[in-house]
Amino acid sequence: MTDASPGGDAAADGGHEVARGGDDHDFPGTGSIKRWFVTTNHKDVGILYIVTSLFFLVLGGVLAWLMRIQLLAPRALGEGILAPVAYNQAVSAHGLLMVFWFLSPFAFGFANYVVPLQLGAKDLAFPRLNALSYWLYLFSGILFGVSFFQGGTFSGGWTMYAPLNVPTFTPDVGASTAVLALVLFVASVTVSSVNFLTTMHRMRAEGLTLRNVPLFSWTILLTAWMMLFAFAALLAALLVLSSDRLLGTTYFAMESPAGALLWTHLFWFFGHPEVYIVFFPALGVMAEVFQTFPGRRIVGRKWFILAMVLVAIQSFAVWMHHMFLTSINLQVKTLFMITTIGISLPFDLMVFALIYTMLKGKIRFTTPFLFVFGALLLFIIGGITGVFLGAVVLDYEFRGTYWVVAHFHYVMVGGVTALVGGLYYWFPKMTGRMYDEFLGKLHFAVYFVGFNLLYFPLFVAWETPRRVFDYAPELAPWHQLATVGGFVLGLSFLIMFYNLFKSAFVGDPAPDNPWEYATTAEWAVSSPPPLENFDGTPTYRDGHLEFIDDGEVAPSEERSGGPTGAAVSDGGVTASATRAVTADAELPTAEATEVEGPSHASIWPFVLSAGAFLVLLGLSPLQDAAFPEGMVGAAYATTAVAGGVVTLGSLVAMGLEPFHGPVFEEGEAWPFAGIDNGKVGMWIFLASDVVLFGGFLGAYVFTRVAFGWTGWEPIPSDPIPGLVNTYILLTSSFTVVLALVAAEKKHKWGLVTSLGATFVLGIGFLVNKGLEWQHLFHEGLWLSTNVRASTFFLTTGLHAAHVIAGLVVALYLTARAWRGAYLEDSRSVEYFGLYWHFVDIVWLFLFPLFYIL
Amino acid sequence: MVTELVPAAAFPLQSGLVPRGTRTFVFESIFEVFLLLGTLVGVVVVGYMLYNAYKYRSGSGNGHIDDEDRLVLGELPSGSGGGRKLFTSFFMSMIIVVSLVSWTYLTLLYVEEGPSDAESLDVEVEGYQFGWRFTYPNGHTTDGVLRVPADRPVQLTITTADVFHNFGITELRVKSDAIPGQETETWFTADEPGTYTAQCYELCGAGHSYMSAEVIVMPPDEYEAWYANTTADNATASESSADESVAAKSSLRPAVVP
Repeated sequence: MTDASPGGDAAADGGHEVARGGDDHDFPGTGSIKRWFVTTNHKDVGILYIVTSLFFLVLGGVLAWLMRIQLLAPRALGEGILAPVAYNQAVSAHGLLMVFWFLSPFAFGFANYVVPLQLGAKDLAFPRLNALSYWLYLFSGILFGVSFFQGGTFSGGWTMYAPLNVPTFTPDVGASTAVLALVLFVASVTVSSVNFLTTMHRMRAEGLTLRNVPLFSWTILLTAWMMLFAFAALLAALLVLSSDRLLGTTYFAMESPAGALLWTHLFWFFGHPEVYIVFFPALGVMAEVFQTFPGRRIVGRKWFILAMVLVAIQSFAVWMHHMFLTSINLQVKTLFMITTIGISLPFDLMVFALIYTMLKGKIRFTTPFLFVFGALLLFIIGGITGVFLGAVVLDYEFRGTYWVVAHFHYVMVGGVTALVGGLYYWFPKMTGRMYDEFLGKLHFAVYFVGFNLLYFPLFVAWETPRRVFDYAPELAPWHQLATVGGFVLGLSFLIMFYNLFKSAFVGDPAPDNPWEYATTAEWAVSSPPPLENFDGTPTYRDGHLEFIDDGEVAPSEERSGGPTGAAVSDGGVTASATRAVTADAELPTAEATEVEGPSHASIWPFVLSAGAFLVLLGLSPLQDAAFPEGMVGAAYATTAVAGGVVTLGSLVAMGLEPFHGPVFEEGEAWPFAGIDNGKVGMWIFLASDVVLFGGFLGAYVFTRVAFGWTGWEPIPSDPIPGLVNTYILLTSSFTVVLALVAAEKKHKWGLVTSLGATFVLGIGFLVNKGLEWQHLFHEGLWLSTNVRASTFFLTTGLHAAHVIAGLVVALYLTARAWRGAYLEDSRSVEYFGLYWHFVDIVWLFLFPLFYIL
Repeated sequence: MVTELVPAAAFPLQSGLVPRGTRTFVFESIFEVFLLLGTLVGVVVVGYMLYNAYKYRSGSGNGHIDDEDRLVLGELPSGSGGGRKLFTSFFMSMIIVVSLVSWTYLTLLYVEEGPSDAESLDVEVEGYQFGWRFTYPNGHTTDGVLRVPADRPVQLTITTADVFHNFGITELRVKSDAIPGQETETWFTADEPGTYTAQCYELCGAGHSYMSAEVIVMPPDEYEAWYANTTADNATASESSADESVAAKSSLRPAVVP
């Protein structure tokens, strides 16, 4: 792992040193350690993502080496370097680490760095949330690391099939911790998706319509949309699983009707879009590099984009092709065979488009091009072998074998190959120095040989069952070849780490644009770019990139980016927030913008993530909602409480902190023109929440159908408390509307009263619910009593958690309103209202489903 | 060998084109075609890529970038021409893929239909951590060994006693998920008497690597003789050959058993 650390130092040293003078007096330079803890700048965050993801690459790679050593020969029980459970842990952790903690974050490191530059934005829409995404990601990875030391990490494979994933079969605390680490990771992804979608839809430079967005940014846009929905579905699956593991609900228990099948549906509904989520950014890198180095524009650009859009939509309709051998019927199999073949075809078009783009160009075989060219070769092999799996009769036999392993490694690690090309491509931009071209080419040669030596023999040895280390002896030579390839591939990265580490210090200084024929905007600024990216406002209104001097911008056009997060710069009592509003209203000159320019530093994302880490670590040993006996249990419980205090405290601190998002002039913002960033962000977040509840309701309906719809007696036999709560919530929606009206009329006490009433009604809802639950517990019903009780308590419990989160915000808003906030700027009240109405609407679905039907 | 199972009159024209027969036969026939065409397409496409990458390498003089075509930093992205070629290739690949998969779909229908109840031997398979139990029509149950007659379709009904497993005999090209609370069905016909291995193809816990069973394909008359001597009484009898492995495997079970 030490090999990866130089990357970090390298980045730190060569990072964008030049903070514009006077911008941020308390924002330390890149050489300072403090900088990296407080930064909210997208380029810093991008570098943090890249360096951290490379750590996880090394960790996942070492686990892969352990597996490959074990597979050198068929092992009888007790032979080999890994015990059976250790092998299963290595298999599971390798998959989870590579897919979640390496691949996507590596790609999103580039996305963070490059996308705002390509769009002409100074930063992402919500810089602190961007830092929060990173820290949640890092802490989720640390939590996953901790799981190894809690009796062993999760050992049920990265697909986590039920019921092996419940404590009956995987009782280690570490297995729960791994699941919780994934929950934290999903939180990071959701925050990130909301941020990227808001930024990419709202903050494009004038003239940069969606059609005109560069292809790398296009792939990130589609990836973020897929992430928003797919990860919400995964969150539903993970929350149910966490509840089964920690609280004792019985969704996935062996005895549960169709619990195992439910998991496969929930997991693969996420799992297949995930394939494209990790591959699309690689495709974007390919598209950029395939244009730059042959010096040709891509062939069929709009068809290329259309193909990607089709894939992104259709990716949510192919998941059952992972389940051809389950009990689904022929009609469903046929349907999913068709959608599967359908989704493969757009990729044919993309591959041909890339190939034809090279033609008639002047191809320069630099390291980035070599990697991307190699990636396309590997992807073609991965694609062809994937067609085999699309033929259901063949899939029947390939299921669970190394054919699948070889195929998806060709595709996914093929994607990694392109991303490594991306790392070489953007390295000069990020560090301001060139890498060593010879060492880069050497890396490619060793990498490419190692790759094929590792994965190609696995096609030949395809009859080996997956996740097994006792295989037919005649297949041993192929596995030995693969093991050798695994070491060659892994060691090739040493060349890269050495090259990039050294070059970051002593490489030749890189010009703004080291690649002839590069066209995208990141190459039009210095290497590395200034803190706020552009000197002047970028625009494409005349069909090409120009920078307008900030002073020329008409005052009326100057807009602030709106509040970041839930509640900031809301015209409240904090002095600078008030000043921001004043500046916006009265002094929108370039000078004023200079003074009130965007903030770049906040420690709270880090603290908040550390708090969340402690909460989840503290909760990890729960079983049947009880901590273990004795000191250990007490220590865990204390950790959870301490974490809760830190989390809540840092949320409040973040809310009170004066922080300004990037100042920008609205350019292209389809389809959200004229809508505030904060509002767009809230809508996008709520869209993912719809999928989360959709997952829970889907799980309920699926379980109930398997159980027998009519034989299922609703758990609260008395619907009256639920009915009362329906009225309470509807009334509270009304008071939120009143609060907004009062705020707009600048009627302070009306605002305070309405918000207070909302809070009291919410408390009333919870008290009523508490009494109802108390009554049910008294009747002997508990979460683990049966699956009917599980679905009731968990689904309405998730809703109650949403109510509690809303009440925390309501309390905060009430207190701030008391002190005179929100009268100048009522947006925070409006966003809270959106959330609160959503929570009420969810209840309107839950009430009939759980109390009446 | 192939046509015995086929209601030949049903698809008179296709019977030659669409592979029908044992699971091994249909798999091998389709796999061969896919492998052949896949290799062909792969070689053509990769060869074309490499050839052109070499041909248009910088300095070869083959490529030319006109002034008006020249990529300029900061331009709005646009595409090159060549759409016709793109679509020609796209439609060709589409025809290959769609026709290949449609062709295999006819075999899928055949495989899904399965053998008729009258001629097949029905065996219930139950997976558990970490082994397989087989129950014959007369109620006879064995653990770790499945005996079947050659040349007669065997219909398997598969489920599990604990976690998700997957029952597969790779040499006989038969496989199906073993899902808690669900039953799945599949079938196979073995041509050659001999001993084969059934394995678990879904990660199921510590003993997953060793979750195998012996599949003994017997000449029909020998099988009949053996079957006549079985009764429902010796339920869960495990044959001597399997005893050892069963004992070893039980040590891999988790301490907590439901």
